[in-house]
Amino acid sequence: MAEISEKYNTKCPGVKRLMREAMELAEATEEYCARPLEDNLFEWHFTVQGPKGTDFEGGIYHGRILLPKEYPMHPPHIILLTPNGRFEVNKKICLSISGHHPETWQPSWSIRTALLALIAFMPTPAEGTIGSLDYSPAERKILAKKSVSWACSQCGEIAALLSSTTAAKPITEEEKTVLNQIAFKAEDEQTAKPPEEPAHTQEPEPQVLESSEPTNSFLDQLTEILVALLVGAVGIFIYRRWNAHYPTSETEL
Amino acid sequence: MADDASSSSGCAGNIIDNSINQDELIMKQQREIEKEISETIPLVGELEDLSSLEKEYNEDPVYLLKVKDLSSKYKYIRRTRPDGNCFFRAFSYAYLEHLLTDKSEYNKFYEIAKNSKEILVALGFSQFTVEDFYETFMEVVQRVGEQAGGSPDALDSVRTELHDKFNKQGYSDYIVVYLRLVTSGQLQTENDFYQNFIEGPRTVTEFCRQEVEPMYKESDHIHIIALSNALNVGVRVKYMDRGEGSQVIAHDFPEGSKPLVHLLYRPGHYDILYA
Repeated sequence: MAEISEKYNTKCPGVKRLMREAMELAEATEEYCARPLEDNLFEWHFTVQGPKGTDFEGGIYHGRILLPKEYPMHPPHIILLTPNGRFEVNKKICLSISGHHPETWQPSWSIRTALLALIAFMPTPAEGTIGSLDYSPAERKILAKKSVSWACSQCGEIAALLSSTTAAKPITEEEKTVLNQIAFKAEDEQTAKPPEEPAHTQEPEPQVLESSEPTNSFLDQLTEILVALLVGAVGIFIYRRWNAHYPTSETEL
Repeated sequence: MADDASSSSGCAGNIIDNSINQDELIMKQQREIEKEISETIPLVGELEDLSSLEKEYNEDPVYLLKVKDLSSKYKYIRRTRPDGNCFFRAFSYAYLEHLLTDKSEYNKFYEIAKNSKEILVALGFSQFTVEDFYETFMEVVQRVGEQAGGSPDALDSVRTELHDKFNKQGYSDYIVVYLRLVTSGQLQTENDFYQNFIEGPRTVTEFCRQEVEPMYKESDHIHIIALSNALNVGVRVKYMDRGEGSQVIAHDFPEGSKPLVHLLYRPGHYDILYA
């Protein structure tokens, strides 16, 4: 932190705010932890625990937080690094109030709000939103198990980053109403550069899962089209048979 | 962004993606417009003679009549950037400027401002983010207080300082955020009363989360009523639009108060007026 105060203009409200948040989040909790990189106050790494009672239970997920220079007027971006089956990894996602534009981010929210919202949002259905993945519960559970031994090239073994004893501060009234409304989705053309560190372990399998995703939906689509064609053909057939049987029905009227 | 949305709708094959695509395009366009605006208009401009409005409406007889009416009561105008925060920015600038020459009003305001943080924390806003905005806000307020009622020279220098701070995005936005929070606090504290002003099925709290607390959300009557009540400051808004007649109608908030801040409203935007 000492270096940071030399490097940045601490009179600038955004910098002051981030230093404050770094202090606020200095102590790791069981649910989440986050801290700025040594040399960049505007990039943080975080770790969250998968929400209990969901497919992510027991999982530990690590990622980056990128803070825009207008922070806290504009929302932080989150990039997950640990394969999790809910969000694509290495893709910028952004939080917003569901059904509204990302401009509904509020400056009184913080990195903590974003992390709590991320945890709360993980078990919600992906519904084809950009940046979302719709893996099966079984696949997610496997990833949750594997995530425990995942390591970040900058932060090391992520399982060691969370506290095993300190509970997070209770959720405030404001946060409660916020958490119910928040949604995450990817934005921009995101070629969010894969982080410089290709040092992750156990990459191959999640990649296999990822590549099976578009194929699945393509097959689904193909099946839908075939079913539609079939229904149409049967309809025409019945119609023609009907006319053949009652050819005079119109003239009678 | 468009590419991204369309390519993903290619694999997911659902209709939702199309609407996202449209939304994203509109948003992108809006962001570009906002960027253009922010590059050309200062957050708070210099004092201008009211005649600059006449030039603006050179070929518009309806507005020209109204500008004429306006100029019988006001001499100057100070424009603000139309970024959705203009009411809060115009209000705080004009009020702090007024406080420089009104020490007793300053003392009254200082007490209200000092207690405002506790009200917000009690309502459940996160203590440390509220404190963050509060401190920057109070820093500016206190600078005004140190010089309030001072010599003309001292006032001139603090006016310049105020003007600089209001044009520094960081400071300026922090003041706007804090006033948005105070407005939200007032609405939530008196939610029985304000619920009547909210159209549709939204609760006061939902309204605050969606229309008051986020930056760049435009202000309506309800914002002005709440803020002027919360700070106990009289605001007169002159409404200038295409409506009938040659008079510019004034509204005082709260009703019957003595206005210390005078604002000009033209559809979608607030500027500061000076007698």
